[in-house]
Amino acid sequence: MNEKAAGISEDWLSLFLGIFIFMVSLGLFVGSDLLGWGISTKIWTDPTKAMSTVSSKFQPVKGEIAKIDGHKLTLKLADGKEAVVTAEGDVASLKAGDTYEKKGISGMTALFLTYAAMLIVMLVGARLMAINVGKFAVGFTVLFWLSYLCWFTGHYAHIAATKNQLAGFKISWALSLTPEAGFIVALIVGLLVGNFFPKLSETLKEAARPELYIKTAIVIMGAMLGLKAAESFTLASAVLFRGFCAIVEAYLIYWAVVYYVARRYFKFSPEWAAPLAAGISICGVSAAIAVGGAIRARPIVPIMVSSLVVIFAVVEMLILPFAAQIFLWSEPLVAGAWMGLAVKTDGGAVASGAITDALIRAKALEMAGIKYQEGWITMASTTVKMFIDIFIGVWAFVLAIVWCTKVECKPGEKVRAVEIWQRFPKFVIGYVATFLLLLFICFPSTKAIAPVDSEIKKLTTEIASLEKKLVANPADEAAIKTQIGHSKDLIKSLNSSVKEQKDMLSKAKLATDESNTFRVMFFVLTFFSIGLVSNFKKLWEEGIGRLAAVYVICLFGFIIWVGLFISWLFFHGVKPPVVIG
Amino acid sequence: MADDPKFSEELKKMEYEPLSPVENKLIAWSLGVGVAALAFFYWLSKTFFPGGH
Repeated sequence: MNEKAAGISEDWLSLFLGIFIFMVSLGLFVGSDLLGWGISTKIWTDPTKAMSTVSSKFQPVKGEIAKIDGHKLTLKLADGKEAVVTAEGDVASLKAGDTYEKKGISGMTALFLTYAAMLIVMLVGARLMAINVGKFAVGFTVLFWLSYLCWFTGHYAHIAATKNQLAGFKISWALSLTPEAGFIVALIVGLLVGNFFPKLSETLKEAARPELYIKTAIVIMGAMLGLKAAESFTLASAVLFRGFCAIVEAYLIYWAVVYYVARRYFKFSPEWAAPLAAGISICGVSAAIAVGGAIRARPIVPIMVSSLVVIFAVVEMLILPFAAQIFLWSEPLVAGAWMGLAVKTDGGAVASGAITDALIRAKALEMAGIKYQEGWITMASTTVKMFIDIFIGVWAFVLAIVWCTKVECKPGEKVRAVEIWQRFPKFVIGYVATFLLLLFICFPSTKAIAPVDSEIKKLTTEIASLEKKLVANPADEAAIKTQIGHSKDLIKSLNSSVKEQKDMLSKAKLATDESNTFRVMFFVLTFFSIGLVSNFKKLWEEGIGRLAAVYVICLFGFIIWVGLFISWLFFHGVKPPVVIG
Repeated sequence: MADDPKFSEELKKMEYEPLSPVENKLIAWSLGVGVAALAFFYWLSKTFFPGGH
């Protein structure tokens, strides 16, 4: 027989890819901006202005010099806006009023570079997985460009702009779906291709790997969340601990109820009911496969359950974030945790968290004028999902022991503890590593900056009140001006006392922004791929109705609502930090 | 693939097995521990990990 070489799993590959991109982004700490050329997409009315490089260092710029401060030039651009650039080389010959031009990378070139870099990295990955590299390259190329087109479309101002941005874009209406609408567009186009264009879908099959893309994105996202955790350590530890608590129900309450319903009311055998309960209640595909393996079910069982899970995750992704925006905008982290608990695939849950993050922040700004910091809602979804994933191996092990010793006792069959490790999702290691590394790098800086910032805030308020006094009591002008001057000097010296720490933080922010470019692209690829692999027609032909009935009843009748209750129980009143200014 | 078992046929073949005492026990224990742990964790998170705001 012709044996095919077995490659590494998607799980391990996502860990390597995520860590690789993260490590490259850290080049900034040693003075090398290695990912600044990545594509960044902005909300647009004029498509030619939508794309640029993520780092301003690589962007072309041309304008009239308004101010020169050492190597820092303030330019007045053609559209009337100002931009500060760092000029390289000799600046002695420059003077205010001159035209300054710096060549850089155009948005289109940045997009091609991003595609080329991702293709190369993914082809190495395909080789490591021992899959057909040629087919993967073709599939990935089509997938990348279609996905980006969806992402770009989602940034159209009439779709994405929130109410406070309408004037800026000179438009009178918008759907206010935020730029994350691009994810929804990708999902819908993926669904259309997967269900109505079978030939194209077949071509893309080798590259349509939503779990690989989302896991890689999650590893990269760990760094961004680590930085956020460093900035608000108490809140981050609360989110982490509460996320851990929330998963208790996923295993103990959800699983037991779904198993009971499937067995008692739908007359499924234990072989079908156990993976089905795991798929519906815990974590979709991986849980169904792990539990199916643990109880020695035939392969068809977890495969059918997994297909069903993917289909329902799509339905949830299209409904739940919008429901959360309407009903939970005043409890952002409840909404985030709810996505993690209710949407049953890694891709679906984290992606729904990202959409919810954008939708709720837009709604809170519109309704209450509160500008929540980006990412915390996604962090709640990811944390809950991570903990669920971590415990799949443990739960599969427990069920394996129960099945092996009590339900179906087969002679000579043993359950080994090493199975916990075998079923442990390896990409979680990458997420934890990038999270902790950024947390440890940034925490000393944020700790030093926090009291200084609070002192500066006090002094700024003091200056404002002195300036009011100055208008009211012109007779005391000299004394008040001295006081203002003293306060301003204090602010200057306070700022310079933490200059090193602020530099460190701005490098960390740029590094996470740059790796985030790739995280976003992996997210878009996830959405498109989920749509692509969700073949409703095929499942219907397979006669999946009875299985789907259990799913619908348990998911919409029980899981979503209990998930909401548990999320509320642990996360209500916990709010993300507010952006000031 | 031609040899793949059809899902609908597999479902038809499935015979009904009533819930065994072991399964009932597993469900009851799972729910009981779940609810108890929920109460305990709620107290723990309120006490040691307040929201931070």
